[in-house]
Amino acid sequence: MQPSIDNPGSAVPAHPAGGLVTPRSDFFAALAWIAFGFAVSIGAWRMDRLENQDVPPYAVPGLLPFFLGVAIMFFAGLMLARSWRRGALAAGAPRATRMTPAERKRFLLVLGLCLAFSVLLVGHGLPFWLAATVFVSATIIVLQYQQRRAVNQVWRGVVISIVIGLCAGFGVTVVFQKIFLVYLP
Amino acid sequence: MLDGLASLGQAYLALLMSPTSIALGMAGALTGILVGCLPGLSATLCIALLTTLTVKMNAHDAILILVCSYVGTLYGGSRSAILLNIPGTAANAASCADGHALALRGEAGRAIGIATSGAFCGTLFGVVCLAAFTPLLARVALSFGAQEFFWLALFGVTMSGTLVGDDPLKGWLMGAFGLFVSQIGQEGIYAYDRFTFDIPALSGGISLIPALIGAFGFAEVLTRLADPVERKLVEMKDSIRPRFDEVARYWRTVVRSGAIGVLTGLMPGVGEDSGAWMSYAAAKATTKEPELFGKGSIDGLMSAETGDMSSIPGHMIPMLALGVPGSAPSAVLMAAIIIHGIQPGPMLMVEHPMFAYQMVAMTTLATISILIFGLFLVRPLLLVLRVKHSVLMPIIFLMSVVGAYATAWRLFDVYAMLAIGIGAFFLRRKGYPMAPFVLGIVLGNLLDKSLRRGLVLTDGSLLPFFARPICIFFATITIFTMLLYIPAFNAAVHRVIGAITGSFKSLIAWRG
Repeated sequence: MQPSIDNPGSAVPAHPAGGLVTPRSDFFAALAWIAFGFAVSIGAWRMDRLENQDVPPYAVPGLLPFFLGVAIMFFAGLMLARSWRRGALAAGAPRATRMTPAERKRFLLVLGLCLAFSVLLVGHGLPFWLAATVFVSATIIVLQYQQRRAVNQVWRGVVISIVIGLCAGFGVTVVFQKIFLVYLP
Repeated sequence: MLDGLASLGQAYLALLMSPTSIALGMAGALTGILVGCLPGLSATLCIALLTTLTVKMNAHDAILILVCSYVGTLYGGSRSAILLNIPGTAANAASCADGHALALRGEAGRAIGIATSGAFCGTLFGVVCLAAFTPLLARVALSFGAQEFFWLALFGVTMSGTLVGDDPLKGWLMGAFGLFVSQIGQEGIYAYDRFTFDIPALSGGISLIPALIGAFGFAEVLTRLADPVERKLVEMKDSIRPRFDEVARYWRTVVRSGAIGVLTGLMPGVGEDSGAWMSYAAAKATTKEPELFGKGSIDGLMSAETGDMSSIPGHMIPMLALGVPGSAPSAVLMAAIIIHGIQPGPMLMVEHPMFAYQMVAMTTLATISILIFGLFLVRPLLLVLRVKHSVLMPIIFLMSVVGAYATAWRLFDVYAMLAIGIGAFFLRRKGYPMAPFVLGIVLGNLLDKSLRRGLVLTDGSLLPFFARPICIFFATITIFTMLLYIPAFNAAVHRVIGAITGSFKSLIAWRG
């Protein structure tokens, strides 16, 4: 897999793409894209044509979105046909590799922490430095817990994580808010 | 011509006379190198975060920091490619095989020296092209009308979808999706709300910076933290001095890769990694030692680093002259330039005649900065590579939240960043490239306005979209590129090319 601009650091991908992308997964993704493209086209078609403002039909706001919906359906249709030809629906067609239970647990944990910080803690009255300190410390503690427990250094890890969290919280607040005068949530 | 040289001299002089600007530029380059060293943190993310940090600064200093960080990030990415076998940014992926092979042989310092000298020469080559071609292209672009801009925008998204990633179909889908996302919110001609579902926050649309931070920052945080494997760093034992003697020996590679980098940079939406890979392929095709490629070839490493670095000024040329960015990082840079009140595009040389030359001077400062830091700060910079993901990524996410919020002070932008980041995480796993999506968001407005304005100007006739000379050029390439995906058409093209090459060879043989 040639690494691409959007996938930095992917010369040695964490997950082999062959396992994650199969004709079967492409087939179902194509169906979802077709549904999405259809919804976009319908939304664009039903959009106000501003006839009361004497807007000509070739300058209506929904013109490009309509064609984009059609284009998405067209490309998704090609992907659907391609994956079907590659045996997406054949008996025994390989299914895409899913996350291992450990990966899924870690992913959900990280996602939960990130969402808790950005949706619940930020912008609801708590000082930013405090919210940032809590988030960074908690995330490091959680992510390093297994390793720390293996070497019997859980409390040492907690202290180090809190110190890093405080440095990050204060550091980001001072640099953004005090030095560069950027307003923080 | 002489006016241009005078303006260029003036821009260099102004930069030289301002120690503050030089210090800020070098700080930007150093920040970029540090970010580039860290695998996964892209130039796009670095520029997006620095855009929010510098939003209150004066335009010149802010853009100087961004340009220097852009160059610094791509240079810094070679460190982790060589020492960890993970490219710091995608553009350094071509350096992995040969750079890491040299490092494993105990020649890590030599590899870094070659990368530094290749990066310096490549960027300098690109800077010369930036100074020479931007005013020329801007003059040509003055004759562009709505129809030309329509095709240019479509060409950019199509080329990005075709060349970035492995699967053009997925690239085009992401390009179309990005174009759709840019249509959300109030449109620019009649101020009509599109796809807002009566949510007031959506009227402002999905801003580019939060979208980019989501796609390149939050998605990367999730990817890295879901996979806990830490890579082993190769120890550096030998000298790190830049190898200009090797530049002299491989001057053909440097010039060829520099030219390829600039040419790929001129293509909208293609990205720096294409410059590196194409230069690498060209070097492999012309070298006398192709068997060494991938096993520690100096030629290979030099070509990859020169190609990717020379493409940076290359990407700035269409960004400045046409208002069409050449890559995802240059798209953010363009957004930042617009935030600071300068509109890139054909009118740039009329409205801000000095700006293109100031960009040349800024890029030159960035080039000199990477050489200085490459020489004197090698070992301290390596400490960054030892920071654990579990420590670094929460801090990156923290900065991503601040970055998404700080441009417009809207929590909605933070939520948009989260949604796009989660979507990008799953899409990337399924092989969907993000660069066409970014280009789509950037070019969507231009495409929409150009299409409708073009049709209004011609009273609904599509003929001028296919009859004007520049339109014919862009339309032909765009349609041809997409038709190449059809196997029968592709086979026919290959047959024709084969027949022409065969006839040419036989003609040469007959004359010989």
